[in-house]
Amino acid sequence: MDYFFFIDLIQSTVDGLLFGTTYALIGIGFTLIFGVMRKLNLAYGAAALAGTYIGLVLFLTFDAHPAIVFLASALGSGAIGLVVYLCCFRFTPTHYPMASLLASVGMLLFIDEVVIHASHGLPYPYPSVFRDAIIEAGDIWIRGDLLFVFFMCVVAMAILFWLLYRTPLGLATRAVSQQPRAAQLCGIDVTRVNMMTFGIAGILGGIAGAMTAAAVGVLSPVIAMGLTVKGLIVVVIGGLGSIPGAIIGGLLVGAAENIFLLLRGVTERDIYVMLLLFIFLTLRPGGLFGSAQTRD
Amino acid sequence: MDFYLGLLQIIGVHTLLGLSAYVVLLTGQVSMAQAGFYAIGAYVAAMCTAMFGFHILPAILVAGFLTAAVACVVGFPALRVKGLMLVVATLAFGEMVRLFFFNFTWQVERGGELIGPNGAEGFRAIRFFPENGWEIWHVTGFIWIVVAVVMGALWWIDNTRAGAVLRAVGHDETAAQSIGLNLTAVKVGAMTLGGMIAGMGGGIYAHTVTHIEHLVFGVLLATFAIAYPILGGLGSVFGTLIAVIFIQGFLVEGLRFLGDWRSLLFGALIVLAMNFRPTGLLGERMPRIFKRRTGEKLELKEAE
Repeated sequence: MDYFFFIDLIQSTVDGLLFGTTYALIGIGFTLIFGVMRKLNLAYGAAALAGTYIGLVLFLTFDAHPAIVFLASALGSGAIGLVVYLCCFRFTPTHYPMASLLASVGMLLFIDEVVIHASHGLPYPYPSVFRDAIIEAGDIWIRGDLLFVFFMCVVAMAILFWLLYRTPLGLATRAVSQQPRAAQLCGIDVTRVNMMTFGIAGILGGIAGAMTAAAVGVLSPVIAMGLTVKGLIVVVIGGLGSIPGAIIGGLLVGAAENIFLLLRGVTERDIYVMLLLFIFLTLRPGGLFGSAQTRD
Repeated sequence: MDFYLGLLQIIGVHTLLGLSAYVVLLTGQVSMAQAGFYAIGAYVAAMCTAMFGFHILPAILVAGFLTAAVACVVGFPALRVKGLMLVVATLAFGEMVRLFFFNFTWQVERGGELIGPNGAEGFRAIRFFPENGWEIWHVTGFIWIVVAVVMGALWWIDNTRAGAVLRAVGHDETAAQSIGLNLTAVKVGAMTLGGMIAGMGGGIYAHTVTHIEHLVFGVLLATFAIAYPILGGLGSVFGTLIAVIFIQGFLVEGLRFLGDWRSLLFGALIVLAMNFRPTGLLGERMPRIFKRRTGEKLELKEAE
């Protein structure tokens, strides 16, 4: 194990940790929705991607400033999140989770196909900031755009925590996720809370999608499946329903992915990430921060 | 005429895929791994005939049993987690299998050319049917005999105690456990049976298309697999068959003039169907009014 290999390893880990924040955001989105509804929204990654494309349309047609593009991506994804809620979760029976699950898979395919049709399946350039800035710490380089991605995701998480723990809406959300019937008896409109959660989770997904595209520099429909699968793995590793778990899981998956990329190459990378998931499932099925009792 | 026979082949193969998901769904588990099992079956059966010169029938049986073994091994860790987590675990397993075959290269020389799976290029020249002079209607007949045997077996299982056990676990795990059923054994058993059917389906599929590659076995195929029984309803095996005929015969082939827009329709159809008839076309055998009442009771119980 020589010096350069060691440097490469640290470099990969740092890049992975910075990029892992986008996985953490996606994981938080899955966890939030699971928390209030006890249901899995598989259309989430696709909604995030579609929102990112809304931002891209602004960039291509009006040559908008990156900040506006990112904002439009986040808000667009939030709006699509609401549509997903209305189409897949609002009117399907609550006691039959298979219905909403399959409906969200249908929505995933639908959104994916709409995006592929609109973009003709081609990758488009996506605006990025601080592309040329590089911070050098000894032999390790930290890319400015990755640092920006990291910073944006941390800000988004901070705002989410403020929303959840310092506002009445957050109180209502946490109440519904603990005990829906009791929350309803206290006068909380569960449907409204569910809708708000889908909107907020959608915005987080849009930010994650925009940041992924900004870090890669191009946007293509392929990333929807990556976001979905990686987000789900993050959630399982962190523990379904736990926000700190999603953050740690996201960083872990981001770092692991980059290390495997360095060690085994791009085609085998994801196999090892999936293996990581299986190790967690066998040894610690509840995830890192999961509670012992799980309802579904 | 050949076109319709070809369509019948597709319907037959997809029916096997749907039935494999049907068995697992009876126990209340949603498995997105069926496309992965299908891939294993396809590659194994193709390797048996093209590389080692097996006859198609033993090749498919080998594929079925091997896939069943894999499903059993996967079932144990995956079924430690319930419901929604299982979806994630099986989704990851399916992707893992696909990526494995994306990286898998093992070729042997046979008849002057290299034959075998070749990484991203896939597995070419699985020519058992043309080499042995099978006509297209022979192949179609063969597929439908297999489908009929599998459907008959599942129909028979459904009407024995085993079927009742599967459904009991699917309806209420706690109740099933309290009458002395071993949940893990039932679920892993269903997973194994599902894996075997998917493996056989995959083996036949590989021989009808003669060229397989990893891209075919993605999440879309896994979605098709669970969509057939859920859209068709878990009441009986015929629900799955009807759903396959509708989707493959009408939606994919009948609406060919719509071009790529058909895949949009598939997603939209699932969303619509789940909103208007969430239990599928042929729901489980209960009068609807009675079902609705128990549904409300369940909802009340769930909140506690």
